Amino acid sequence: MKVTLVSRSGREFIKGGLELNDSATVADLQEAIHKRTKKFYPSRQRLTLPVPSGSRERPVILNYKKSLKDYCDGNENTLTIVFKDLGPQVSYRTLFFFEYLGPLILYPVFYYFPVYKYFGYEEKRVIHPVQTYALYYWCFHYFKRIMETFFIHRFSHATSPLSNVFRNCAYYWTFGSYIAYYVNHPLYTPVSDLQMKIGFGFGIVCQLANFYCHIILKNLRSPDGSGGYQIPRGFLFNIVTCANYTTEIYQWLGFNIATQTVAGYVFLVVATSIMTNWALAKHRRLKKMEGRSTPEDGLFFLHSCRTDR
Amino acid sequence: MASALTVLRRLYLSIYNWLVFIGWFQVLFLALKALKESGHEHVYNAVEKPLLLAQSAAVMEILHGLIGLVRSPVSSTLPQIGSRLYLTWGILWSFPEIRTHILVTSLVISWAITEIIRYSFFGMKEAFGFAPSWHLWLSRYSTFLVLYPTGISSEVGLIYFALPYIKASEKYCFRMPNKWNFSFDYFYAAILALGIYVPGSPHLYHYMLGQRKRALSKSKKE
Repeated sequence: MKVTLVSRSGREFIKGGLELNDSATVADLQEAIHKRTKKFYPSRQRLTLPVPSGSRERPVILNYKKSLKDYCDGNENTLTIVFKDLGPQVSYRTLFFFEYLGPLILYPVFYYFPVYKYFGYEEKRVIHPVQTYALYYWCFHYFKRIMETFFIHRFSHATSPLSNVFRNCAYYWTFGSYIAYYVNHPLYTPVSDLQMKIGFGFGIVCQLANFYCHIILKNLRSPDGSGGYQIPRGFLFNIVTCANYTTEIYQWLGFNIATQTVAGYVFLVVATSIMTNWALAKHRRLKKMEGRSTPEDGLFFLHSCRTDR
Repeated sequence: MASALTVLRRLYLSIYNWLVFIGWFQVLFLALKALKESGHEHVYNAVEKPLLLAQSAAVMEILHGLIGLVRSPVSSTLPQIGSRLYLTWGILWSFPEIRTHILVTSLVISWAITEIIRYSFFGMKEAFGFAPSWHLWLSRYSTFLVLYPTGISSEVGLIYFALPYIKASEKYCFRMPNKWNFSFDYFYAAILALGIYVPGSPHLYHYMLGQRKRALSKSKKE
């Protein structure tokens, strides 16, 4: 069949179109485009069905697994597809690895090295126990995240724009340094021993719960990444749609209860608002998909999951 | 009932825009007068009162945007007003040593001309209901080509030259130790502000260029 490719402005994107087998899949089309254009590898391509002008509906994105025939309505021999370049892409694994590497490496720098000398303070003499435990807690957290990225999470076919690497790294690395600066500060004031134990204890419990949530989410997908758009069940997912975000948020709360810095709480607020947005979007998506059987927002912070976790 | 509210809205906005226009007109007039009679070191003292008033009144515009009285998005008015208030109160008013700098003159003149054009434009729209002649309209989208660079350079320059005074005075600083393990250093905040100007200014200028292109092409079609 003949596939005509147009850009969003209507111009023909590949002159003369592409000739494909009648039984070809979208993935085959993506390969053909890649072969022709060299620079646009499949994960950079966004292929949609044309939307009638003036219509406000969202365009239908082609699923790489389906055959092109499924998208032809009527003329079995021709198909017009709209192409958009998503820009250079990176895999989610790459993105997450670099996001988390920053906090993992930068935080210990403030603990172990005489950084505060450059801010005008004499070399630190006293290290409070809570500062040491905070170091272990923090580094364990980001180590866990990196391990989960490589061994637990099953990602769908999706990638992320390269620009997100800079944006996300700026977010994690800046906040990581900002918090590390205050917790390891020579003039740091620790909270009571009891408060510290409650904070870290609660945080660890939430991290373990979070890990278990990730296991549940992993089992929704097969190893090749298919599946996944289902409502997670069991454990905390019976109460909240995105228990993984809930546990993550409370885990940070635990850290802040133990370390008590404005910087840490600012990070908590920002991270919570970001995750809340994700959660609401996923909750809406899942609800639309499977009708009314999603848990309702009852407890504080019920969240949807990103498609990749 | 809706039309009575519309009349009220237009009346309020007309009064608001023309009042602030008068404020900025005063700033420009007094600035030029002081420049001619006494020299650039005395410009700030001459314009201080109307400047503080007119610039602070701009906070109302955030409110107007929030409650839907005007269509401007809060996301674009907030940084603009933020930087203006920072310069006006956070630098000029807080650190008298910088007031005699020559960049104060270029700053207030750039701001005043920009605001005079802007407020008279909106004042006329609200009061008379129509956009002024293309001539005036053009000046709204063309003077920024010069005034943004002069204004922004003055802002950046003044923050930079005020840095030693900021550091020495320790004003607006919150120090450790304290039980919330929080600190704020106005000096480092000023350096951060300078850092934001670096990507922020070309971005804003580029945005205005785009607005200008759209507005002028629209008028060509009419």
